[in-house]
Amino acid sequence: MLALIRYALASLIHSQRYLAPALLYLVVLATFTINDQGTLAGVYVVSAGALLVCGTWLTVTIVNLDDPVQRAITVSAAGRSRRVLAASVGLAVLVCVVLAGVGLVFPLLSGHHVITSAGLVTGAEAELACAFAGIAVGLLCSRLVVGRPGYSLILALGLVLALPLVRIPPINPMLRSMSGDGPAGHLVLPIAADLTVCVILSLASALVTQYFAVRRD
Amino acid sequence: MGVIRLESVSKRYGPNRWVLTGVSLEVPAAESVAITGTNGAGKSTLLRILAGLSRPTRGTVSGRPPVVGYVPDRFPPGDRLSATEYLTHLGRVRGLRGATARVRATELLDRLELAGGARAPIRGLSKGNAQKVALAQALMIAPQLLVLDEPWSGLDAAAHGVLGEIISEVVDAGGSVVFTDHRESVIGAHAAHRYTIQAGRVTAVAGGGTIPRELVGWPVDADRTASRQQPADGPPGGQDGTALPSACVVLFAPRRARPREVDWSGLPGVVDLTPVAGGVRIRVTAHACDALLLRALRAGWSVAEVRRDAAGCEARDGGAACSR
Repeated sequence: MLALIRYALASLIHSQRYLAPALLYLVVLATFTINDQGTLAGVYVVSAGALLVCGTWLTVTIVNLDDPVQRAITVSAAGRSRRVLAASVGLAVLVCVVLAGVGLVFPLLSGHHVITSAGLVTGAEAELACAFAGIAVGLLCSRLVVGRPGYSLILALGLVLALPLVRIPPINPMLRSMSGDGPAGHLVLPIAADLTVCVILSLASALVTQYFAVRRD
Repeated sequence: MGVIRLESVSKRYGPNRWVLTGVSLEVPAAESVAITGTNGAGKSTLLRILAGLSRPTRGTVSGRPPVVGYVPDRFPPGDRLSATEYLTHLGRVRGLRGATARVRATELLDRLELAGGARAPIRGLSKGNAQKVALAQALMIAPQLLVLDEPWSGLDAAAHGVLGEIISEVVDAGGSVVFTDHRESVIGAHAAHRYTIQAGRVTAVAGGGTIPRELVGWPVDADRTASRQQPADGPPGGQDGTALPSACVVLFAPRRARPREVDWSGLPGVVDLTPVAGGVRIRVTAHACDALLLRALRAGWSVAEVRRDAAGCEARDGGAACSR
């Protein structure tokens, strides 16, 4: 598995396709957090929301890195196609964790906030929840499920806009709760539950993606 | 390794597009099978099913070994990794250590004479050189099943020979090889069995390859047994005691080349062998002579002499040679 993740990471770095989503993430962070003086949980709404979009974009990029023929070779070398998909998900998680780390620290340096451990934990949970939601969406919009790039883009845009804007759990209620002025300590457990739901969603999405990938082969 | 068996395999793409219908075939261990058919007949789909990359809509595949090497008909040029980096990564994926994978990658690329640079991005390589990389990735560890989709396409003449050697080596090691090609000469030279696809149905072509199995060096147990039953100091004989025709072959190692070691005594039909200066003299039954010569040439040996009968071999050697 590590060898597959390493191969996918090398392909991602050489392709430079990580740059656009990573830059978008940094631009959003810089635009909405510099000199911000609101609550710590409130500012993490921005980084979490941005990670939802960028997590989706990165996941689609990672899964689509290999041309179908090249993916067949990789699957042949790995022995099973699910190992290759698991490596793609693993790499997406790895990259999102790095971005979440940046999103956690950057607002502290660029704005003026009262830093509390509860605020940091809430922010980390929310960012990871959005990252896993983004991975779930990205997998469903990848080439393995949606063959045509235009349909993939429309589906991805629809889902990443719907998740934070439409009042369906877990993302919308989570971000709304963080926007309030309440103490961050009260949010730690509910957002941990949201994170768990998002992890389960990403696993379910991986299973669905694998089903379609095998079916399309 | 056992027989890879496809039983009543059908494959459908979309709601109603059947590419294969009721395909049943066997790929024996230590043998090579050719699949022929027109463009779009379903050869690549069949190979993908054999390699485990595609599931049949109906039917079963059994006996597929764990280590499968797959070479597609085209190697996508999108990879910005260099050939060595790519092969090293795939070697790691196949369980090799990084350093071992790098050494193996270099060996294979040297053997296939990759032009354009092992460190240059794959996308910059020509079609033939990219095909060499595709071939190399399938050989990072010895495959028990090697699946080749029109592998000669785009390869230069030297690589054609190397690919032939590779097929022989996989077969000699007990592995199976399945390939597609359109040329009779290629199929005849490399396949023991042949199937053809027409309208999604596969039929065995009578006679398989157009040349005997021995020609490509398969270990034919019956032949080996027969040759070992022969007295070491007598002429090769049939079961009824009559002498089979034999030939005397003298091989030598070219000065600037290093031919690979071959277990001559283990080859089918070999009766006696005698080391001579810079080479070896082998007495072999006539029906296995071509196979031995082909095997020798593929291993890098040069043929100095071929005489029709063993008597000539012994006479030339003063009657004392040709003892194993």
